[in-house]
Amino acid sequence: MPGRWIFLFILLWQPLAVSAAGNTYLNELVEQARRENLAQRSEWLNLLHYKSYVYWPGMRSLADDPAFFNAPDGKTDATAELEATLAVFFSTAEETDKAQNPQCRFIARYHWLKKELHFDPERLREQPCKRFNQWRAALDPYQITLVFPAAYLNNPASMYGHTLLRIDGKNQDEHTRLLAYSISYAAGTDETSGLVFAVRGLFGGYPGLFAITPYYIKVREYSDIENRDVWEYQLTLTPGEIDRLLMHVWELGPIRFDYYFFDENCAYHLLSLLEVARPGLELTDRFRWWAIPSDTVRAVTDQPGLIKRVVYRPATATIIRQRLTQMDVRQSGLARGLVERKISTADDRLHELPPREQARILELAYDYATYRSASGRDMTTTTQMHELLLARSRLEVPPQRPEVPVPAVRPDQGHKTSRLALGVGSRGGRHFEEISLRPTYHDLMDDDGGYTRGAQIEFFNMTWRHYRGDDSLRLEEFTPLNIVSLSPRDDFFTPVSWKINVGWTRKHFADNDEPLMFRASGGPGLAFNMPGSHEGKSVYYGFLEAALDVGKRFDQDYAMGMGPTLGWLTNISDRWRINLYARSLRYGLGDAHNARELTLEQRYSLNRQSALRLGLHRKQEFQDYWNGVDILLQYYF
Amino acid sequence: MLNKKLVVVALMLSFPVGAMAANENVGGCGWGSKLMDGNRGIAPQVLAVTTNGTSGNQTFGISSGTSGCTQDGVVKSSWKTAMFIDGNKTKLARDMSTGSGEALESLAKLIGIQDQHKAAFFQVTKENFARIFSTDSPTTDQMLASLKQVLATDSELAKYSQSI
Repeated sequence: MPGRWIFLFILLWQPLAVSAAGNTYLNELVEQARRENLAQRSEWLNLLHYKSYVYWPGMRSLADDPAFFNAPDGKTDATAELEATLAVFFSTAEETDKAQNPQCRFIARYHWLKKELHFDPERLREQPCKRFNQWRAALDPYQITLVFPAAYLNNPASMYGHTLLRIDGKNQDEHTRLLAYSISYAAGTDETSGLVFAVRGLFGGYPGLFAITPYYIKVREYSDIENRDVWEYQLTLTPGEIDRLLMHVWELGPIRFDYYFFDENCAYHLLSLLEVARPGLELTDRFRWWAIPSDTVRAVTDQPGLIKRVVYRPATATIIRQRLTQMDVRQSGLARGLVERKISTADDRLHELPPREQARILELAYDYATYRSASGRDMTTTTQMHELLLARSRLEVPPQRPEVPVPAVRPDQGHKTSRLALGVGSRGGRHFEEISLRPTYHDLMDDDGGYTRGAQIEFFNMTWRHYRGDDSLRLEEFTPLNIVSLSPRDDFFTPVSWKINVGWTRKHFADNDEPLMFRASGGPGLAFNMPGSHEGKSVYYGFLEAALDVGKRFDQDYAMGMGPTLGWLTNISDRWRINLYARSLRYGLGDAHNARELTLEQRYSLNRQSALRLGLHRKQEFQDYWNGVDILLQYYF
Repeated sequence: MLNKKLVVVALMLSFPVGAMAANENVGGCGWGSKLMDGNRGIAPQVLAVTTNGTSGNQTFGISSGTSGCTQDGVVKSSWKTAMFIDGNKTKLARDMSTGSGEALESLAKLIGIQDQHKAAFFQVTKENFARIFSTDSPTTDQMLASLKQVLATDSELAKYSQSI
């Protein structure tokens, strides 16, 4: 990239052009910085995004862009970078559309060093930063808000979430937040193949870039298209802290960081912006291995006094559900009829109703039409949507949009995402002790306060058992991936539930041998709310599942089959949940056999971070039947 | 079953600077939205969640100012109202049909409607919904023109028609 090199060359050449007096002052500043050991101060290291290596001692900057450094070895030598930065500040280059003066280009560094070293304006002239000032004035910052879109329907993986920062302007209020700007960090790519995107993203194959976007674009993306409820955490950053944050964002604008899904992701980098804003905040330290966005929100809310207020922004689908609670079946049926073009806005069945009810129906119909076209199910024509609104605008009644109650538990207040369990049990008469560890994240039986009901996602779940009489612990199960999406269907929403499970588990063979073997299983399903139950508190479901078992013990080394699962998941009380299911798999290919089970799982929450589990099973594999019982104490951390 | 979802919004700035100068209308400087068929199998669902693939146009690169309506990532003040309407048409239509809502509140703020005139503004846009949305999918220019006209013919709000 010759452009970049020319730019760098100009940058480096500038200091040489300054006068001898400038050089003397530079030497003084460098001396002073060395005396005060400024280069090792956390403020400076944060500005450079220096982090310790996970595997070996030392630090380096996470920025992967030479334009971010003034010293050739600035990525690994914070002192050299500080001194080179001081040198470029003597540049008198004027700002243009293409390039800035280094004082403006590195404006957060400039202001921090100016404060620490008390720059003498006579000897180091301050350069005007017109573009930065215009940019800052346009943002008109008053408050910073951390924005967390929660999971979307039928997509448990989206529970991990995403975070962005929002810059709230002085003359906005809660009704006009669409006018704010958001700062996000994302992989810059036009890749449309999800798989390629996923794999390259794991290994830092994409450049991560900070972006600034009108907030309404983000609201459309999350609330309207993806139907994710959004949580907005307003922070208590002071004007000085907000300025520091914006100056630093300005520095980062064109800078590339390699994007890694698990650790150096959006959530991680936004935390580092907050660390720059408020020196002394230590938010990123606990995320050395991975950074789950919802955990990073927790890290922020854990800081005393950092949260001012939390605002909940329900998604279109959530609003539709709330509207439905205020209507009878006949009215909601009319709304659906309007969207499905079974009746027109001139229909008598609509017009004979009081205006207020007509308004409710028309508003619901429009929201539903929006939802359907956003989810790609059906493109309601714009003419039809226009007619709905036209009819609504002719009714002289106030808006009928209901207040959506704020969920009692926020995403940062739910159970923590890692789980350790200890327990005892018996299986076919043999007693055992069990220990299991789930690094992340949530299963159907966990308390779903702060999570999405019916969404399960677990990574790297591990279970070990010690059977009485054995002299060692044995690995019972290892499940790298386990996802279940249980999304109840009704007249308005018709998602297809699904599950997938990949890992190693024990199989019981005729001679009582129980080798560890690989299994991949999964399939689609349907779920429905029990009549009279709301919001999935009591759900019955069925899946059609296919399974592939691979192991040396099988004839031909494998068995493949399929079969149904039927179940009922319900809350007995706020603390007590049960899941009762029957599952039957007929393995017809490879080593033919049957596997059946009838299971009752129960969970009783002791408090938010601990629970008791009781499992009762009746199982069959090949010719053998056995009963099992286990009781576990679970602790979330 | 899952890959039918329309999920990804990519933002595109439609014209480079040269086109802008020649053709100073909103069509030359809108944040048009582009819906793409997202390929969302199960693997990408697992992994594509902590990020959102965005096109390079969205970043506020330092050599920015190339997009015509933004400078360093923020919308130039002369384009603010037009860009907001361009990006919020369906929401504005919904809000105007009921005379309430955050898109309409935000538009009122951009136009500079004072608090004492807000109720009138909401009422007038609702009553004139059919004029402002004269077709089922008006262009931003058409909407700006009809909104200006509607305000101009209202005695209380006439003064605001100049700010559009």
